Amino acid sequence: MDGDPTSGVAAADVLAAFAEAIVTDGDALPHARAAVVAALGEAAMIDAAAVVAGFNGITRIADATGIPLEPAKADETEEWRAALGIDSFAALKS
Amino acid sequence: MNIRPELLAAQTTAWQHLGWPGTWWTGAERVAIVAETRHAASCTLCGARRAAALPAGVAGTHDTLATLPASAIEAIHRIRTDSGRLGETWYRRLIGKDFSAAHYVELVAVVAITVAVDSFRAGAGLPPFDLPLPQAGLPSRTQPDRVTPGLAWMQVLMPDDWAPPVPDLYRSIPGPRERGRGNIHLALSLVPDAMIAWWDLFEPMYLRSAEMRDFHHEFRAVTHPQIEMLAARTAALNQCIY
Repeated sequence: MDGDPTSGVAAADVLAAFAEAIVTDGDALPHARAAVVAALGEAAMIDAAAVVAGFNGITRIADATGIPLEPAKADETEEWRAALGIDSFAALKS
Repeated sequence: MNIRPELLAAQTTAWQHLGWPGTWWTGAERVAIVAETRHAASCTLCGARRAAALPAGVAGTHDTLATLPASAIEAIHRIRTDSGRLGETWYRRLIGKDFSAAHYVELVAVVAITVAVDSFRAGAGLPPFDLPLPQAGLPSRTQPDRVTPGLAWMQVLMPDDWAPPVPDLYRSIPGPRERGRGNIHLALSLVPDAMIAWWDLFEPMYLRSAEMRDFHHEFRAVTHPQIEMLAARTAALNQCIY
């Protein structure tokens, strides 16, 4: 892994845009959905929507319960967590 | 649209289950939590807090359907609209005599299921489900005996402390144990039925633990790397540090 979590992932751009459109529930969603169908097919769009929606829920469980990341998992994901800026979110909690 | 039967069944079952009496909330109260979760997305106060550097510095009242206690309303709105900035101080202020940690945990599960199902329907271009039908009956008000403080903000049931008659939340029977490897499996364990309801929904949307680790096979129409990229992107968009 080179620190970029999207590197080497097929259709990463359209999938990332689809994830953002679902999470933000914005006007871009129909276009983003159509782009995933065009690139990967309808079954992939459905499974991608399911992953994003599932993580839209489970992130709330993690954040609303204060459950900590396991130390081993934190070590394994250190590079791409830094690349995504995830560690900086901890400072925003109140 | 051709949706995997397992995925469709999990969503339908989870949604209907929201209308049943839970462990700490009645069926009608659980449906009210679903409705409030949807309503929170357009709350003016939540929008202002989300835009502020310090959400607690923005005073006001929530735009609410007003059918639940104030502590529950605050919890639902913050979890729905700004979960990435929730902290233990906020949680400790919410919890009290009439809104226990167990009430809170079940509420978190109901909000998460609502968000997951609604997000999937919107993402796939499907209309949202109607509110679940509330079913009569009383909450069971049962709690595991051997719970442990210190891991999360509230007590959790450690997998090795599970024993009947507590529901088999970690799928320990017949073995090997299917759930409980990661801390996230423990997050809702203070209310075992809430934990089971969430994971029975989530695994068909994502992957089961064994499927996650099996890189020789693909179980979805998107690959392991695509799934993990989508998960990481969604976590980052929600400012989730787990």
